[in-house]
Amino acid sequence: MAQAWFEKRERGSHWSLRTARTLALRLGRRTARVWLMPVTAYFFCASREGRAGLRHYYQALDGRRPTLARLFRHFLTFARTILDRAYLLARHRDAPHYEIRGFEAVTSCLDRGQGAILLGAHLGSFEAARAAAFLRPGLKVRVIMHTGVSRTLNEIVTALRPETRESVVRLDGPAALLGVREFLGDGGLIGLMGDRTVEGEATYPAEFLGATARFPMGPVRLAAALRAPVFFFTALYRGPVEGICRYELVFEPLCGPAPDAPARAEWMRQLGERYAQILEKYCRLAPDNWFNFYDFWQTPDARASHPRPGRDPDGRECVRHRPPLDGCGVAQDRGARGPS
Amino acid sequence: MNSGQTEFEREIAQLLVSSLNLTVEAGAIDPEAPLFREGLGLDSIDMLEIALAISQHYGIQLRSDDPDNAVIFASLRALAGAIGARRTETGR
Repeated sequence: MAQAWFEKRERGSHWSLRTARTLALRLGRRTARVWLMPVTAYFFCASREGRAGLRHYYQALDGRRPTLARLFRHFLTFARTILDRAYLLARHRDAPHYEIRGFEAVTSCLDRGQGAILLGAHLGSFEAARAAAFLRPGLKVRVIMHTGVSRTLNEIVTALRPETRESVVRLDGPAALLGVREFLGDGGLIGLMGDRTVEGEATYPAEFLGATARFPMGPVRLAAALRAPVFFFTALYRGPVEGICRYELVFEPLCGPAPDAPARAEWMRQLGERYAQILEKYCRLAPDNWFNFYDFWQTPDARASHPRPGRDPDGRECVRHRPPLDGCGVAQDRGARGPS
Repeated sequence: MNSGQTEFEREIAQLLVSSLNLTVEAGAIDPEAPLFREGLGLDSIDMLEIALAISQHYGIQLRSDDPDNAVIFASLRALAGAIGARRTETGR
């Protein structure tokens, strides 16, 4: 249900998103931000599930029920990051400014000719994080998209910056990821998200803001199979200073390249655990940047109001999906499967 | 136990089981069954692990731009056939 809400929000309609984009670029950021107020107020009132999801988050974060004002400011931050995407992708004069932290560790990998995996979250602005591509001349960045979510947004992204079409990896066949490994071998950066789960997907449990939450197994397995160093990254919205919008682009090392089996299982367990810890750290640093507007601690299957067929990590429906790794986390590499 | 696998197919099946931590017996993998999605139920991440294991064991690099990829990854039999053929070519 919550997921459906988010998909709905992210999709919107072609017309309204395109109009919004055109208006935003024509009006400029200052005027567009004024218009964000009523738009956000509408979404704030209309999405009871979104508000309920955020209440769970703030309850976990500081142990008490958040005020309505705090929830509204949270919605407003989300709306502002969406607006900033337009300026960022169009390389508009109102594009936000960045403070960059921790990129030296990524650079030292790249200097050795080694690519790296950037494991992000629905925390801060993913589009702003794509700005990593501009941090070093000639740096190549590709993004692996989880499912069909954000299709319309992606179309707009492509319209604004045609070269980004190339940068989104489509997982459309058995050999699709071979190209991703070759790309990493040539010193490219791969970005993907590690926090949001879909129904039927294998998950692992990890401590997050004081309780056990379930994170998707796919990104962790993928990072292991790619055998490249993994960094956490996020672009936190830090509000305007003297009229200039500011983002903090953060990179933090998670794990070195994965070993072969059987040591790989322990490597995945550690990656999952560290990812959740670092995610928590940045949630505490910039609470209103959390953009999972649903009860994050509820299992994805319980969240689904209408159970659908399972999805494999490529986001396609599959006949025989992996059973969730209940209770064993990533320590147990794989559940039972195969011909029975 | 053997479900019509050749000796080399059995060797590749063992490699799949150990590199992917599968719980299935190597000898029980149907050589004709699809590896990807249906059949053995592997996904593109597993395929990446398989390609890595093959390059480590046989020195054969499977590339993303190989036009035969859909055929190579179709089944255990197809995979073993492709590896066998490439080993002969490279003399390994």
